[in-house]
Amino acid sequence: MTQGAWCGGGVVRARATRADDVRRAKRLGSMASVSLSEAEKVYIVHGVQEDLRVDGRGCEDYRCVEVETDVVSNTSGSARVKLGHTDILVGVKAEMGTPKLEKPDEGYLEFFVDCSANATPEFEGRGGDDLGTEIANTLYRIFNNKSSVDLKSLCISPREHCWILYVDVLLLECDGNLFDTICIAVKAALFNTRIPRVRVLEDEEGSKDIELSDDPYDCIRLSVENVPCIVTLCKIGYRHVVDATLQEEACSLASLLVSVTSTGVVTCMRKVGKGSLDPESIFEMMETGKRVGKVLHASLQSVLHKEESLGPKRQKVGFLG
Amino acid sequence: MPGDHRRIRGPEESQPPQLYAADEDEAPAARDPTRLRPVYARAGLLSQAKGSAYLEAGGTKVLCAVSGPRQAEGSERGGGPAGAGGEAPAALRGRLLCDFRRAPFAGRRRRAPPGGGEERELALALQEALEPAVRLGRYPRAQLEVSALLLEDGGSALAAALTAAALALADAGVEMYDLVVGCGLSRTPEPAPTWLLDPTRLEEEHAAAGLTVALMPVLNQVAGLLGSGEGGPTESWAEAVRLGLEGCQRLYPVLQQCLVRAARRRGAAAPS
Repeated sequence: MTQGAWCGGGVVRARATRADDVRRAKRLGSMASVSLSEAEKVYIVHGVQEDLRVDGRGCEDYRCVEVETDVVSNTSGSARVKLGHTDILVGVKAEMGTPKLEKPDEGYLEFFVDCSANATPEFEGRGGDDLGTEIANTLYRIFNNKSSVDLKSLCISPREHCWILYVDVLLLECDGNLFDTICIAVKAALFNTRIPRVRVLEDEEGSKDIELSDDPYDCIRLSVENVPCIVTLCKIGYRHVVDATLQEEACSLASLLVSVTSTGVVTCMRKVGKGSLDPESIFEMMETGKRVGKVLHASLQSVLHKEESLGPKRQKVGFLG
Repeated sequence: MPGDHRRIRGPEESQPPQLYAADEDEAPAARDPTRLRPVYARAGLLSQAKGSAYLEAGGTKVLCAVSGPRQAEGSERGGGPAGAGGEAPAALRGRLLCDFRRAPFAGRRRRAPPGGGEERELALALQEALEPAVRLGRYPRAQLEVSALLLEDGGSALAAALTAAALALADAGVEMYDLVVGCGLSRTPEPAPTWLLDPTRLEEEHAAAGLTVALMPVLNQVAGLLGSGEGGPTESWAEAVRLGLEGCQRLYPVLQQCLVRAARRRGAAAPS
């Protein structure tokens, strides 16, 4: 198997089928909607109180994640991540531009999230725009500090040229837990990004010329050691779960989104949803988020390094797997 | 005589002169980390809005107006059993539409009105913090519009907007479970990082991390939380949240008095 894959643990047991005529629509804002009856909600909530979820996982287990990098050839770096049925494709393109006025010796990242109509019919036309802007704003917030990505390495010549990394996220399929998956995909794509090495040559008159190196494999890589991962904790009843499916998200009124680096440092915190949270449960959720985040980082790093060690001759699965 | 624009070409982009000023790094003065700036709050000042509120804390001035409930666009017909307390079923619940705007002269640099991503993000944060407090089930197929206008940004703008929005909703007579009180915090950078309550704009600019908490004081439930930056380990964030919640509790009596005064004013103004 050439893709990196790891499972969160727990045996997946077949879910009992439910009568389709007992359904009621429930909207969760701009996310994909799912129909759940009262009985199903009670089943999910009671199960979570006993640390047993519908597919047999514990409250802190992730579903099986598949990560594959370098799937799109026209980009500087790309990654595709599948978490259950949630499918995200990220492409990173590096382009040269002028640095921002306030930070003349740094490059920067620009995020764009597109919710494709393939994910759910509600995203057709402008429907997915709100969700896309919300996710893009969260990504900006997470990467908004000095330690996530070394922006000084993206500078070519101060005040004149720098690398701008356009990170484009495509939502192909939505099955709950979008933020976590997107952040894993962005981290994998940044790990895969290869920026060509350029040199600035000065003429006698003082005019500058940019020279691209001849060797196509001569490139700089970004260090993704400090890129954080998002852990979304959904409050269901009195407990919280990590990596909620769409059905579990429909039973939860409020979630806490925590962005954790591999050393356990929290870079962003946000409450999502219509409900309110108890202060004590916020503290518990932060601790869980940190614990789960560390494990997630360790697994992701090992998988990415293993995939890279397979070399350029590895068999690519892409969308055929 | 008007300038000759054909021969004298000016620059296409304009920047404020402060960018080119010599680096006068005024570090913010040391102060008690738990001090809250004195707050002036007044409700019921706009004649055209159903409910309105003005909040001033230090240099931050926010004006908020609420209109509605009016019929929601695209309100679908739906059935289903009613929720507890005579509330509408989930498909028919009312909606809260929040809008956050910065005046172009609010910050240090002029920002043209369609502020882009940041204003959308703050509007979403406003909505997520106010929804737990408003009984939307009592306004089926209706929408309430809350619009917050930041006149001057003197630090903790989102927290002030949250508080003003909750006051405006209460002034409009919208059914609520509790008021929402917002509080801002910021963390000083590396040597000796401490969390400061209710930062000024200078402290926010020099900060390594910022956090805004929104609390429903009587129910003691956190309605909103938004924070980012290099805040350090989870214990540091937990301490910040506790400090913020305590600040919100201290602010609550001021807002209660403001609403009482507004109600008295309205009672005195009504023709008997």
